[in-house]
Amino acid sequence: MASNLAVAIVNGIVWGLIMALIALGLNLIFGLLHIINMAHGALYMLGAVAAWYFIELTGNYWLALAAAPILVGGIGLALERGLLRTIEDKPLVTIICTFGIMLALQQLVLMYFGGTARRIALPVAARFPLFDLQYPAMRVIIAAISVVVMGGLWLFLNKTRYGLWMRGVVQDREMAVALGIPVHKVYMWTFVLGSFLAAFSGVLAAPIVSVDFMMGREILIMAFIIVIVGGLGTLWGSVVTAVMISLIQGVGSIFVVPSTATVFSLGFMILVLLVRPQGLLRAPCSRTRERGPGSSWRSAASSRRWPRSPSSRTFSTRPS
Amino acid sequence: MLILKDVDCFYGKGQVLNGTSLEVGEGELVGLVGRNGVGKTTTLKAVMGLIPAKNGSVRFCGRNIAELPPYQVPRMGISYVPQGRHLFPKLTVRENLEIACVEGKADSARMEEIFGYFPRVKERLTQKAGTLSGGEQQMVAIGRALIASPRLILLDEPTEGLMPLLVQSIAESVKAINEKGTSILLVEQNLKILKEICRRIYIMEKGAIVYEGTSSEIDAAMDVQERYLSVKV
Ligand SMILES: Nc1ncnc2c1ncn2[C@@H]1O[C@H](COP(=O)(O)OP(=O)(O)OP(=O)(O)O)[C@@H](O)[C@H]1O
Ligand SMILES: [Mg+2]
Repeated sequence: MASNLAVAIVNGIVWGLIMALIALGLNLIFGLLHIINMAHGALYMLGAVAAWYFIELTGNYWLALAAAPILVGGIGLALERGLLRTIEDKPLVTIICTFGIMLALQQLVLMYFGGTARRIALPVAARFPLFDLQYPAMRVIIAAISVVVMGGLWLFLNKTRYGLWMRGVVQDREMAVALGIPVHKVYMWTFVLGSFLAAFSGVLAAPIVSVDFMMGREILIMAFIIVIVGGLGTLWGSVVTAVMISLIQGVGSIFVVPSTATVFSLGFMILVLLVRPQGLLRAPCSRTRERGPGSSWRSAASSRRWPRSPSSRTFSTRPS
Repeated sequence: MLILKDVDCFYGKGQVLNGTSLEVGEGELVGLVGRNGVGKTTTLKAVMGLIPAKNGSVRFCGRNIAELPPYQVPRMGISYVPQGRHLFPKLTVRENLEIACVEGKADSARMEEIFGYFPRVKERLTQKAGTLSGGEQQMVAIGRALIASPRLILLDEPTEGLMPLLVQSIAESVKAINEKGTSILLVEQNLKILKEICRRIYIMEKGAIVYEGTSSEIDAAMDVQERYLSVKV
């Protein structure tokens, strides 16, 4: 019993950290581009599939971990420039468009990769004892890599000029333009970064789950739940929520069947949204100072991209 | 330096600027005044390229800047202090200043110059901009405009909502900044302030400039003040 519980907890944390990376990408893209990216799960799947091919070719998982996300990031770049930018003022159209991208990617993978699920061998076979069970060390390594990547993302957002631009663009797009920030470039790189993170999580997850063309579907729904529960635009909220939901689900599965455990985590989500509709860890956005008086300015700002005030949504990378 | 000629601007179908023409010379401090909603803010936005100028031309140092993508306009040497400050509320004061240095690092001499005008800004560097008082926010907004060493600053109602003492001090800073050689186009509701610090003043009405004169000329032209600004003299 104790060992079961320990394994469920460790599994929950590992999976939660992978989910966190996926949700972070989704949240970043939503925060900056205001795009509800239905293709995010497909990009995750594409990362895992690309990794499978890389491993077939080279036999090296670590090479795949570096190469597959870069490849998918490139695909993200093409999608943003070629498709999404042309419809940037039309939220409804972007949802349909990204949904279409999702279907197209899934079908492409089905055509070339086939419909059968495939496995990627654990690149580190070592195990260590966890109570009376042997736990694969690779899972802990995966969790550690995820933490390192999140740390890197934090540094990027908080310590680099591009990160500062991204945080500025989220808060006030028109002012960012008026300061000379190339907002479209920022959008493009944000989408690339989001795609990269999705694919990276796909490669991280690949040795744990099985790789197939539908693997991104459930992930997408979970990622949306995490982003909403953690707070739209609140990055660290996504991280905390991902680990929490994953823990609830993992520990819950010991006592009940997994699908009931999913019901638990969904119940948790509903509870959170009832108590804190703005998200678990996001400050309520009613502080008047943050809004500022210039309403005419704002309506003009938003008419260019999104019919909502840019300053009412912000994202923070740390607790406020 | 900055020349607007017969500029028209629209929000959707509604025309807001209707043949606006004005000029700011090298080193000048020019005022722009008018009732609420006549298009002063729109004029500044048209210069920044935030609203496209439909007809006419916007030239800066001989270049037609209306053709540039909007983010290039500030890189030509024009800074903008919008009405309502529009700082980034969740960034610190320091980050609000740094983010305006799009083409390099904030140089410390320039920082010191800003602190010279506004010592309060220095005390608040690590504070989130959203937690500042209105007056402090205005100082940071002007500081943010200064940091890129612009040749021209567009200032939109910097004294709006500030207490009289602070209004005076902001006005003096604006004058001091101008005397150091930066041209300024200052939009104000407060005609008294404009008359104190500006050499030339434009009056705007329904999207067009209807009067241009020095402060003493405006003082003399009481009918103009009454007609366009509803000032009882
Ligand atoms: N985003 C917008 N959409 C539609 N109409 C707008 C928009 N912004 C401003 N307007 C209209 O354009 C006109 C001019 O607005 P503008 O903000 O330029 O006036 P202003 O002279 O700056 O006024 P104030 O002194 O109150 O700041 C107003 O009638 C306003 O209602
Ligand atoms: Mg105005």
